[in-house]
Amino acid sequence: MKDLLKKAAIVGIYQTAQTRAFGRRSSEMFIEVVKGVLDDAGMSVKEVDGLIGPNPLATEGEARGFPSTAFSEFFGTHIRYTQQTPAGTQTGSMGVLHAVEAVAAGLAQAVIVPNVGGREGPGVVGRDEWESPYGLPRVAYYGMMARKHMAEYGTTSAQLARVAVIARKHAALNPAAVMHSRGPITVEDVLDSRMIYDPLHLLDCCIVNEGAGAVLVTTAERARSLKHKPVHVLGLAESFAIMDLYNVPSLTATDGRGTGQDAFAMAGVSHADIDVAQISDHFTINPIIELEDLGFCKKGDGGPYVESGVLELGGKMPMNTNGGYLSHSHSGGPGIYDIIELVRQLRGEAGARQVRNASVGLFHGVGGMFNSAHTAILARE
Amino acid sequence: MTQYQKPLPEPSSLTQPFWDGVKQHKLLVQKCSSCSKLRHTPKPLCPHCLSQEFTWAPLSGQGQLYSYTVMHRSPAPSFDGDLPYVVALVELKEGIRMISNLVHCPLDKVRVGMPVKVVYEDVTKEASIFKFAPA
Ligand SMILES: [Zn+2]
Repeated sequence: MKDLLKKAAIVGIYQTAQTRAFGRRSSEMFIEVVKGVLDDAGMSVKEVDGLIGPNPLATEGEARGFPSTAFSEFFGTHIRYTQQTPAGTQTGSMGVLHAVEAVAAGLAQAVIVPNVGGREGPGVVGRDEWESPYGLPRVAYYGMMARKHMAEYGTTSAQLARVAVIARKHAALNPAAVMHSRGPITVEDVLDSRMIYDPLHLLDCCIVNEGAGAVLVTTAERARSLKHKPVHVLGLAESFAIMDLYNVPSLTATDGRGTGQDAFAMAGVSHADIDVAQISDHFTINPIIELEDLGFCKKGDGGPYVESGVLELGGKMPMNTNGGYLSHSHSGGPGIYDIIELVRQLRGEAGARQVRNASVGLFHGVGGMFNSAHTAILARE
Repeated sequence: MTQYQKPLPEPSSLTQPFWDGVKQHKLLVQKCSSCSKLRHTPKPLCPHCLSQEFTWAPLSGQGQLYSYTVMHRSPAPSFDGDLPYVVALVELKEGIRMISNLVHCPLDKVRVGMPVKVVYEDVTKEASIFKFAPA
């Protein structure tokens, strides 16, 4: 499978300014990322024959039901391959992996994967009759996950806070991060911030912001004559097992156990080979659970692991070098920014936050309330 | 008496018997007629044996606090007056878990694993909801 996947390459990445202010039209951001990602790669839109994701330009009449056909018309190209990949915040990143599969299989020559994120709707009280009478927004589940992890493994608030501190340290080195200008924070800053869903403080929660991004995938052959060194996906896996959190075997373990194992096996690399990682961090508890599930530390040891220094720039495997969802961006399907950041690192274009000689990167993301999980291992050629 | 402002359950035809049970101060869950396994929330088929036949079985109402979060920000103005309040994931003796609120318990006494029991609140003439309290 690895040899098949290597027939495709990620050749273009682009993101708009990520901003705390809202107000740009999604159609305008969409046009910007489509043009931007083509320019980054050095490809013409005429070569694009695949679209995975939304088309905010297709809002009227018949076009609403045929976003890919409308894409052909708006951009003067001919889409012959399309699909939708709804997976919450991981919709965009999963789309990139599916684009790699499609190109590797010869089903498309060049697939564009856009992500556009504007203002979220007004706070919704629960999803239905099981939650709304009790006053919990769905994200409050993460407070329960953190509390359970504390009860089972002795994880502390200071350990949770460390995840936010690492994200901000890296964001402070990334001018594109929403929280860049706020500068670094300390564990005390996190613990002193307002309590939201106890034990999660305000700074344990991801930011809310606007922005868009896109990734372009084409054949390894075409990639040879493009602007940048291509990045390949060596291994990938995804899982959709859990919808109802009432019925999960554990509140402190996710599908990542399976997807991690499968992705490592497919890629033929080991944990020690990973130079840089993007681990979805909607809340500070998430990377702790995800790193355990992926096998970077024992189940329950995620707290001490995030305190060990391994995950910070200068450490053995820096994590969320762009600042993560906590400090870089959480707009739309922010998993796409994880892929974009890994590609930057593997190209050696990450500036002040560059991980030296980064050649293999790992991405792991969960969508919704751990409703989906996927892992990918990327490498430069 | 002021009107009850918080969201009330809006049952579907599948979930109506559960909320009718709560109205009678009972916790009823689906029991598969083929393999006898219990399930919740209500689903049209059994995930273990795919049977679509089921009956409604009463639970003991006793269990433990599987996990919880203390809400310091409310999702709607109708909950503002309750802040801070406890959202609980309760595991009943029968293995079924339910989201609810933990009530009648000082915040500094809330612990993962504490024994809890169901209590009912008749919040309007038509609707009742279930909550949990220390056992
Ligand atoms: Zn059954």
